[in-house]
Amino acid sequence: MEQINLPIAEKGVVDQIRKISDDTWDIKVFSPGIAKSSKAAQFVHVRVSEDFRPFLRRPLSVGPCSGDYLRLIFTVKGSGTRLLAQKSTGDVIDLIGPLGNPFKLPEDDEYPIIVGGGIGVVPLLLLDDQLEPDTPRDFLLGVRTESLLPVDEPEIKHRNIQIASDDGSIGFGGNVVQLLERKLSKLQSNRVVVYACGPGMMMYALKQVCIKHSIKAYISLEVPMGCGLGACQSCAVPRSDGDGYLLVCQDGPVFDATEVLIEPEVLR
Amino acid sequence: MSVDTTIRMGSLNLRTPLLTGSGTFGYGDEFGSIIDYSSFGGIITKSISLKPRAGNPPPRICETQSGGIINSIGLANVGIYNFIESKVDTLPMGKTEVFLSIVGDSVEEYVEVVEKLEDVSGIAGYELNVSCPNVRRGGLDLGGDKEAIAAIMSSVRTVTGRFVSVKLTPHYPVIAPVAQAAVDAGADALTLTNTLVGMEVDVERRKPLLGNVTGGYSGPPLKPVALAKVWQAAQVVDVPIWASGGMVNGIDCIEFLLAGASALQLGSVLFADPYAPGRILNEMIEYCERHDVTRLSDLVGKLETR
Repeated sequence: MEQINLPIAEKGVVDQIRKISDDTWDIKVFSPGIAKSSKAAQFVHVRVSEDFRPFLRRPLSVGPCSGDYLRLIFTVKGSGTRLLAQKSTGDVIDLIGPLGNPFKLPEDDEYPIIVGGGIGVVPLLLLDDQLEPDTPRDFLLGVRTESLLPVDEPEIKHRNIQIASDDGSIGFGGNVVQLLERKLSKLQSNRVVVYACGPGMMMYALKQVCIKHSIKAYISLEVPMGCGLGACQSCAVPRSDGDGYLLVCQDGPVFDATEVLIEPEVLR
Repeated sequence: MSVDTTIRMGSLNLRTPLLTGSGTFGYGDEFGSIIDYSSFGGIITKSISLKPRAGNPPPRICETQSGGIINSIGLANVGIYNFIESKVDTLPMGKTEVFLSIVGDSVEEYVEVVEKLEDVSGIAGYELNVSCPNVRRGGLDLGGDKEAIAAIMSSVRTVTGRFVSVKLTPHYPVIAPVAQAAVDAGADALTLTNTLVGMEVDVERRKPLLGNVTGGYSGPPLKPVALAKVWQAAQVVDVPIWASGGMVNGIDCIEFLLAGASALQLGSVLFADPYAPGRILNEMIEYCERHDVTRLSDLVGKLETR
């Protein structure tokens, strides 16, 4: 059983903030307690406003960590993330984390394929770091178009990320699940394990493909959330066996894809 | 100047007037080390029903343009048997007073749940949730009926001598008759108020933001509504009032004390700011110091209306 560290409250300090693409930002935060204990797919609950407008915290995946620093990479979608994008060096960010359960790392004989959709790539960057350096892997990332890439070119190169774009403006022309299928048809290994995070439609399609190919898939989900700690039960997702719900904050955010019913409309 | 923050209510002596609002604090252990219990007078659990409830379809929470949040959890809970088996031991008894929120589909269910809890030691009392906006039965339709509330309260009274508060909806145009009915039936306190029914629409998709379409509206926008209900009820009943409604700072809380509340439930604010209880308590103490008030309880009902 993997050791999971208890969440802590920490006032992070913005070290650096940069714009990656049209609406994507990357904040490097000094947050030693959380940075040192976070595992891939765990998240921090970020207070975006001191005056409760907007009211709720924002759950953000922990991105790559190095020493005392973690990276929060996010797309501006509404008023909360807009406020976060206005932070500057030296600003304090109220964080609670790391929260949730991390990805289960692959067994020795398993071949990991990492599949990200848009900003869903963030927890997968940390996973990529946490795999043993000599572990062979494929890292796929889908975007609608090149200008919306949530990672910059040096990072793509450094991690050897294979891009799929819906409009064919970069990399494989098509969606990332189609790229995954193409990859699977060429692979010899029958011990593939998929790690995925992305928008609802992508996760829905990915689950069908993995079932079709009898492949184990771990998916990390994001849904509207309240407390982030399992108390309010806001972040429910239906179990696929019909027996009630699981909580993304407490039971997830990582699920075996067969465990949960994927409703594209609910997932962010 | 030291300010006395204790609140005495019948047999209860609370360290501070701050309580958690039911449904926002789980069963007490979820917040772990993030919560400092020393600021609390007590906690109120998630509502417990006879049978487990899975809750409403997601999404279950959204924010609103006018501030605050709407939830439609649907009283998801483990049910009384699982609660006794696996949750009782995790309650923060000894750290603070523990009140259990109870919900039912019928008078008999409220009674049965309370009866089963009577054997659990260390419980300070109960809060009867007769006003959840998110379920049909055991929800608002029950809470709208003062005869039903009186029947639930008086029946529960036959099986417990513990402290009982009845949590009412803010939807009554006039709160006095139902408040009086609950007290006449044996309530030791009234909780005012539960959430308001609300909804929010995503116009791009032409869909509601909540899976259940409507939900319970809480947070700062609820405050003036709850404040009015507390004040109105305080004019007619002589039991303590537990206020619940959008408090996010010490001044909000002072307003409720002045309007007649003896205890103050912090709910939605805990999602945004789990450290709120300590901050709010300090803000209330600062207010007292500024106004030469030596006991927080001296402020209760001291609103000057003329």
